[in-house]
Amino acid sequence: MSSYTIPVGPLHVALEEPMYFRVEAQGEMVVGLDITAGHVHRGIEALAMTRNFYQNITLTERLCSLCSNSHPSTYCMALENLASIRIPERAEYLRVIADEIKRVASNLFNCAILGHIIGFDSLFKHVMETREIMQDVKETIYGNRMDLAANCIGGVKYDLDEERSKYLWQQMERMKKHLDEIYALYCKNSFVRLRTEGVGVLSKEDALRFAVVGPVARGSGIDYDVRQKSPYAAYDRLDFEVQTENGGDVLCRAKVRLREAQQAVRLIQQCVTDMPAGPTCIDTPPEIPAGEAIAKSEAPRGELIYYLRTDGSDIPERLKWRVPSYMNWDALKSMLVGDKISDIALIVNSIDPCISCTER
Amino acid sequence: MLEMLSPFFHLLLFPGGLFALACGLLLKGVDRKVAARLQRRIGPPLHQPFVDLIKLWHKDSSVPETAQSRVFAWAPHVGVTGMALAALLIPIGGVYTPSGAYGDLLVLLYLLAVPAVALMIGGAASGSPFGAIGFSREMSMMLAYEGPLLLALLSVALKVGLATGGVATFSLAEIVRYQQAHGALLFDPVMWPAVVTFLFVIPANLGVVPFDIPEAESEILEGPLLEYSGKELGLFQIMSALKMVVVLGLGVTLFCPTAPGGLLLSLAWFIFKCLVLMVASVTVVRSATGRLRIDQAFSFYFKWPEALGVASLILVLTTRNFP
Repeated sequence: MSSYTIPVGPLHVALEEPMYFRVEAQGEMVVGLDITAGHVHRGIEALAMTRNFYQNITLTERLCSLCSNSHPSTYCMALENLASIRIPERAEYLRVIADEIKRVASNLFNCAILGHIIGFDSLFKHVMETREIMQDVKETIYGNRMDLAANCIGGVKYDLDEERSKYLWQQMERMKKHLDEIYALYCKNSFVRLRTEGVGVLSKEDALRFAVVGPVARGSGIDYDVRQKSPYAAYDRLDFEVQTENGGDVLCRAKVRLREAQQAVRLIQQCVTDMPAGPTCIDTPPEIPAGEAIAKSEAPRGELIYYLRTDGSDIPERLKWRVPSYMNWDALKSMLVGDKISDIALIVNSIDPCISCTER
Repeated sequence: MLEMLSPFFHLLLFPGGLFALACGLLLKGVDRKVAARLQRRIGPPLHQPFVDLIKLWHKDSSVPETAQSRVFAWAPHVGVTGMALAALLIPIGGVYTPSGAYGDLLVLLYLLAVPAVALMIGGAASGSPFGAIGFSREMSMMLAYEGPLLLALLSVALKVGLATGGVATFSLAEIVRYQQAHGALLFDPVMWPAVVTFLFVIPANLGVVPFDIPEAESEILEGPLLEYSGKELGLFQIMSALKMVVVLGLGVTLFCPTAPGGLLLSLAWFIFKCLVLMVASVTVVRSATGRLRIDQAFSFYFKWPEALGVASLILVLTTRNFP
């Protein structure tokens, strides 16, 4: 049978962001794949080298919507590593809270899109409605639904008073019930399972070969989580388990994401109870010496690394970051080939690609 | 003079043509509203399908350079014509009985395949790879659901035919008359497998989730419809609205064509029955399921509805009253 080419993207209803795949197909089977990137290059890395350290917090927050807290917090961590700043303990807990709130919202968003792609719009609506609780939490505590503006050099810009802590706790209790229900849905519903089980399999060997990170790696049985392997903020004092699945298919990745959302809710509640009193930020403006630093964190999509080089001025000499999607999207070649055309969008969505932070 | 005009009246105004179109668009509006309510959305107003159609009518349509433009432009016309003729054949209990000169159940069965064929031709002529994929998927779906559909129709034809002393009757008027005299087939346990088979066929025939595979929006960008725009796309919407009435009306005719008497009341009763059938077999089903893959849908139809259809046929044949 002769093969033919179909274009998927750069604008495709099921891909949230522009990414172009040239798919070689035979009948309904994918036999080859060519990924082209670069549709949303905005020159942000160059822009970062023209702005001062404080302006860059705002800039990095605008790289991407769903992991918009991971970028500025990791950038601040790199600066703090460079200047040997120890942030107040309360600020460490508050950073965890901001990160985990974004993680729940991001993971639920991805799982909702899975529902939409398999044509199960009721599931999509249900998950998005649950996610709306997290959006309300963000708006109530931070004043925004997407960009939290929570971080600053040496701490955080917000604090939780008694009333807000209580509100946060109550909302997390509400989330628990919904998350359990959603998790059971994804595990049991026959339409979800028919479409996702055994689809887009990434074996553990391939996962290691492509060095994938985040839920994609954990869905293929690789027990790797930055929060546990090299804890930052308050993660070394918090109790959580790294979630893994061994199947390596689309369903396993969705399950890992949902269980991580459940863990995140637990983490937020732990933070609210364990958080010590005290300042939320260092009180003197920091001196940033010349030098190099690296910081890494676990964004909702996986390991995020920031590299920073300074020359003693208030503008970074070089700021570079490696985002999780950069590691994950090459593995698509291994996942897609041999699967059906009807599953392309489903498999691409299962790595939760964030094109806007990958191409910046 | 009047008798010469009556086929045109039936084709263009009632029960085909404008009436069927308005009915179909209304059904679609209700479908969208109920589906939205089931998903806790507000949903569009009931007249949204009318507005959509009027909007499309005022838009320019473009034809892709790679398309075979004449076939591409004619495909939706073929589909609409087929469905308009089919609408002519649907009896409305107590209001309208199609003349035997227009055709019978067998003609209707053939006409029901026209929309799928029109979509296949349009998709293949559009020159888009997604249209081609849609073509092959539409073909597979047709192979899958035509069998059970035929078996369900045959069960009713045999049931009515054997009861009235013949072998099988394909006359729609006869099927309606029999049920008006002896009660609706829906309440006859012997016919229940046929009812269920027909219910299984509706979602695939109308192309809704879980069987909207040939037009899957998030997989192949609506396949054959991808390149259509403006009036041509509007024609496909008219076709699908008419098909809604024809398929649901056929279901009502086969299993429950009884009417309460009185022209307006019977008409309202017919529309109400179509609505109930639609909510049960389209709206609820598409809200509660996700889309299947083509191979899964294919094997599903060859397992359950096919088996049920055969069972129904055997049941009808073995339970007939020997004179």
